[in-house]
Amino acid sequence: MTAQAVEEKRPFDWRTFFQSYGLLLSLLLLCGIISLASDRFLTVDNLRNVLRQASINGIISIGMMMVILIRGLDLSVGSVLAFATVVAADLLSRGDVTGVTPLGAIGIAVFVGGAAGMINGVLVTWIKIPPFIATLGMMTFARGAALQYTNGQPITGMAELGAGVRFLGSAELNGIPVPILAAGILYILAYVLLNHVPFGRYIYAMGNNEEAAYLSGLPVKRIKMFVYIVSGALAAFAGIILMGRLNSAQPTAGALSEFDAIAAVVVGGTSFSGGEGTVSGTLIGVLIIAVLNNGLNLLEIPSFYQDIASGVVIALALLLYRAIR
Amino acid sequence: MTSHVRDLSWQVVVGGLLRRGIVLIVLAGLMTYFASQSDRFFQSRNLVNILEQNAALMIVTVGMTLTMLIAGIDLSVGSVAALAGAISAGLIVNNGFSFEVSVVVTLALGFAIGLLNGGLIIWGKLPPFIATLAMLGIGRGLTLLYTEGRPISLNGVDQYTFYGRGDVTLPVFGETPVSVLVALAIVMIVSVILSATRFGLHIYAIGGSEETARLAGVPVTRVKMIVYGSSGLLAALGGMLLTARLFSAQPQAAVGMELDAIAAAVLGGVSLFGGVGNVIGAVTGGLLIGVLSNGMNLLRLASFLQQMIQGTVLVVAVAIDMIIKRIEGV
Repeated sequence: MTAQAVEEKRPFDWRTFFQSYGLLLSLLLLCGIISLASDRFLTVDNLRNVLRQASINGIISIGMMMVILIRGLDLSVGSVLAFATVVAADLLSRGDVTGVTPLGAIGIAVFVGGAAGMINGVLVTWIKIPPFIATLGMMTFARGAALQYTNGQPITGMAELGAGVRFLGSAELNGIPVPILAAGILYILAYVLLNHVPFGRYIYAMGNNEEAAYLSGLPVKRIKMFVYIVSGALAAFAGIILMGRLNSAQPTAGALSEFDAIAAVVVGGTSFSGGEGTVSGTLIGVLIIAVLNNGLNLLEIPSFYQDIASGVVIALALLLYRAIR
Repeated sequence: MTSHVRDLSWQVVVGGLLRRGIVLIVLAGLMTYFASQSDRFFQSRNLVNILEQNAALMIVTVGMTLTMLIAGIDLSVGSVAALAGAISAGLIVNNGFSFEVSVVVTLALGFAIGLLNGGLIIWGKLPPFIATLAMLGIGRGLTLLYTEGRPISLNGVDQYTFYGRGDVTLPVFGETPVSVLVALAIVMIVSVILSATRFGLHIYAIGGSEETARLAGVPVTRVKMIVYGSSGLLAALGGMLLTARLFSAQPQAAVGMELDAIAAAVLGGVSLFGGVGNVIGAVTGGLLIGVLSNGMNLLRLASFLQQMIQGTVLVVAVAIDMIIKRIEGV
């Protein structure tokens, strides 16, 4: 009997079905429950709002997923977001002196974020500091740096100069908010990279077994550096979008966003033991958390319960996931 | 087999001493520097202050060390500390319970939350990072819910606040803060348990290799449950000391304490991967952080700058540690 014949004879397997679509079903179920509870949920405006709010955590989560795929961790994303953003905002708000254009400001932020990520990468790759500690150090340092740079005050006054940045944060193209478009493009790029580019496949190989990856000649160190740099750069880019939406750069922005991103990535099925996780899973994880928060807001549930609910949902999602496997 | 032989070799012993020494050398260097810069640093009142300010963190760090020794982690300690502070204060102020009852109930609650963490990790098979991260959110939410976002004042509840600001007169040492004595007692007890009891041996065995420990007959599940329970209990105790020192239970107390405790333990030579380190080292790491922040305050450094220096010190200290480790060939 060939394998194909076995395949055909097998009755519908719920187990496999849930393994493949369980996450998506959970998201739909959640949407269903919330739309039953509130008739304001299933409106175009609200859904657009959910996506717009999800875009920032979504962009950070792409980098976080790649870091977790290689058994790393990046606790510094929230602080790096704040630091990169205030530097870019400051240079932009003094554009007449510094000559920084909005596009240049985006470039500067991404560069600063990438540089912070590179320091993380060097600490982890060459000095072999555990990722938790290296990025915890960067988290403390970058938050202090952001506060020091701005003296603890938000930077405003980019309204006239920063039309390009505001475009990224709050404009719409054909009715689709630009942050959603930006996040969408990044997700497509990440999907292509991780599934159709050899370098991206190396990331999975390395997460499965770093030793084996090294022995088979994969550029292990370069992969690690790349992943940490991308994580820092994406955090900074998310910061620019946030700045565009708020029309100001806050040195306290992004606090605790590392935990939001980790939660989204893990709810999306990426394993802490590395090498396992998909871009689409991460996207659904991000959406589950965004929909949950939106639903709790619509139902006017006090924010205390929201902390509790997200904790419970993270734990339940993973318990279910384990049970199905 | 080779690795077992190497574990016992002199290189490791020397390396371990050297590495533990590094923290002490950095600590001594910092203290000398601060003493040369500020007359007030070496006054005994200031040194006692450092201990008093860090008593809660020391206790929480002890619990964190236990979880790290079994290759786990407990991110929920800050939230549990805040919840414990709120509930212990609320039981007395709002419900009229006695101080003793409130303490016992709160410690039991901390232990129960720890057991819940342990259950999620052992039977739910969640990574410790995630299980306790979920508990971090839940604990903070419950605290805000219970306090309705407002502090609970303990003005007039002297029996409670005594543990935050009170002194007892000891022979030789003179006036000693009670909170410091509580912290030292915890450090001593857990140190002895770790180094001189079968249970302590089991903890190190699990951290070295859980599978090997299981095959060798270590009751892995029970030990892990007790470790997570203890971490919750110690977090609750730390939270109550913090509350006593502030004279009120703040819903936003101890935010980020988990990260301080982890940083302290790692600075003190506790490995994030289990099996390596001890409580005395971890607490020394905590003191390093305490001395650094006290000294920087005396030098009137801006708090933002302090944060940058703290992050740098953490990374540099661990980097030195890693480099020594590599030279030692461990």
